[in-house]
Amino acid sequence: MRQRWPFLIIAFFLFSLTLLASLSVGAKPVPFETVFLTFTSFDTNDYAHAIVWYQRWPRALIAVYVGAVMACAGCVLQGLTRNPLSSPTTLGINSGAAMFVVIASFVFGMNEQAQGYMALAGALFGFFSCLLVVRLVGLSQDPRRLVLILSGALIGMLYLSAANALLLSDPELRSNFLGWLTGNLNHAYAGRLFDYWWIGASALALLFGLARPLTLIVIGEEKAASAGVNVVFVCSLAFMAVAVSAGSAVAICGPLGFVGLIVPHIVRPFVGTSFIFSLPACAVTGATACLLADFVARFAFAPYVVHTGVILDLVGGLVFAWIVKRYYLARNAGSWT
Amino acid sequence: MKIRRALDGKSVLRLRTGLEMRLSNLWACLFLVFAATTLAVMSINVGFTRTGVSDLGHLAAGERLGGAEVFALLDVRMPRILTGFMAGWCVAMAGAMLQALARNPLADPGLFGLSQGSMVTIMVLLALFPTAPRSIIPLTALAGGLLVALTLIWLVRGDRSGGLAILLMGIAIETVLSSVTGILILYTPAETSYALSDWLAGSLFRADWNGIWAFMPWFALSIPAAFVTGRALRSFGLGDDMAMALGEPVPWSRPTFLFVAVLLSSAAVAAVGPLIFLGVMAPHLAGILSPATGRARLFLSGLTGGTLVIAADILTRLVAADVPLQLGLSLSLIGVPLFIIALRLRALRTISNL
Repeated sequence: MRQRWPFLIIAFFLFSLTLLASLSVGAKPVPFETVFLTFTSFDTNDYAHAIVWYQRWPRALIAVYVGAVMACAGCVLQGLTRNPLSSPTTLGINSGAAMFVVIASFVFGMNEQAQGYMALAGALFGFFSCLLVVRLVGLSQDPRRLVLILSGALIGMLYLSAANALLLSDPELRSNFLGWLTGNLNHAYAGRLFDYWWIGASALALLFGLARPLTLIVIGEEKAASAGVNVVFVCSLAFMAVAVSAGSAVAICGPLGFVGLIVPHIVRPFVGTSFIFSLPACAVTGATACLLADFVARFAFAPYVVHTGVILDLVGGLVFAWIVKRYYLARNAGSWT
Repeated sequence: MKIRRALDGKSVLRLRTGLEMRLSNLWACLFLVFAATTLAVMSINVGFTRTGVSDLGHLAAGERLGGAEVFALLDVRMPRILTGFMAGWCVAMAGAMLQALARNPLADPGLFGLSQGSMVTIMVLLALFPTAPRSIIPLTALAGGLLVALTLIWLVRGDRSGGLAILLMGIAIETVLSSVTGILILYTPAETSYALSDWLAGSLFRADWNGIWAFMPWFALSIPAAFVTGRALRSFGLGDDMAMALGEPVPWSRPTFLFVAVLLSSAAVAAVGPLIFLGVMAPHLAGILSPATGRARLFLSGLTGGTLVIAADILTRLVAADVPLQLGLSLSLIGVPLFIIALRLRALRTISNL
């Protein structure tokens, strides 16, 4: 893995470039100097400053947060479940969180703060119901673990249609939630980012801290145990961190799918399976991917702005098909560890 | 007409023309027809306007009724029931055919993305050529469904993973297509867009007599299709080699039957939108009623599908009196748990093959 450091450096460079571009390019282009001036000496009367500070900066921050959190979650899930299709979307985590937020708002009339904590509970609930279905179906012995993904997809459909059915009960609230439910980056959600950023940050910190034992577990559970790792404890801690951080991202901008599926596959060929390197690489690349998707959503269909979730679904579905083809249908398939 | 015993000791009804039917299948069929009729009567009685079957009887006898009652009966409830039954019949039959063709008990036009394909092409048509005549919509739907079917076949050729990978591939195609619809919804004018998103979720709200007449030929086609394909589908279940040994011209009959299945599913999509899970649910439920094969399985599946849609429609109208809960949503709320049970049953049977 000689490409580790070059990859990290290039990824970071690309990230700063996209971040800068997403702040300066738009319906009203803002030159780079003005962007820098916004952060050094903010002028409340300047229109360009206001655009950057109140619209593009929060939007970019949300994209960075969601991208980093989802990509790391996907990376850890793919490693621990030993399945190339694992991600917060495909294991029911996102849809569980989304359903709980809708329930919190429509059934119990909770405020935004409480909805966020319900999202965390929902993420865990979604993940556990996916595991429960796998157990119920009774194919957990299947060596290629297709059933895990199939259960996740079914759970996802079930919870999202439940959420949609609930949405219908209140047409006025519905219009607020409809955009959110497809996964939408919007500067209006900046307040939620301010409320929940610490959840994702501490979960990521925990995962970075667990990087070494987690890598050992991926190499082999028995080997890890003989090296002094408490496998069950570390695994459950990591799963909790993943679910909670993905739940916080859903609480901010809805179930933004497939970053968690795609990014680890981009990163892995360069960085390898060691979490010590792949987690930071995933975080940076995930943030870049989200910013790029947001870029496409803003400009590809101008003058309309598409929801970012739609763009990510489009790319994600294609990658999903490619992974199924590559790992499950090829002649020499099944050699994924 | 005589009652004979089949080789396995079950009673068989033999018509003078040589057509044989198992009595158990016949009983199941009668039961389903009874259930469908009962549900249809219930469905006529349920609703905001207080009217029902008795009023329908008065109307048939030539009595005059209030405008609201006539409207509720003839323009709202009857078309809903008829469209729902026909769409459910077609989707379920398409599902049963696909299951035999793919040799996969979990095949479903919705899960394989065929319905989504039909939908996307219809939306492209409506977005790009809003003035196109309505009669070509089913043909467009057919083109889309076929395109997805061919893509799917191309993508999973040489599948060797017990048929689960093909489902994942179908889900992938579905995701891509649904994001395409998301983008298309933006481009259509606001009014069309709202109507489209209603129809996207599967809805009987727009059912009317014109739609029924447009749908009728496709529905009628399904009956001879079931007679022709039924026997062959049974031999497909034994594998291609065995089917050919039994005299089935597999190389041309397989694509033809696939065409018929896609045709039925896209006709239903054009009428009411996608009904995901119905195609896998109905044949399994029919199988519980009576473990039929061949033609009987197709007909029983179709009846079950139609009955289920009528039931789901009653449910949506009872639960959500003032909000339009879409039919597709309520079907997936019922469908997913049933699908998980089907997976479980399959696991019990085939765990050694995986």
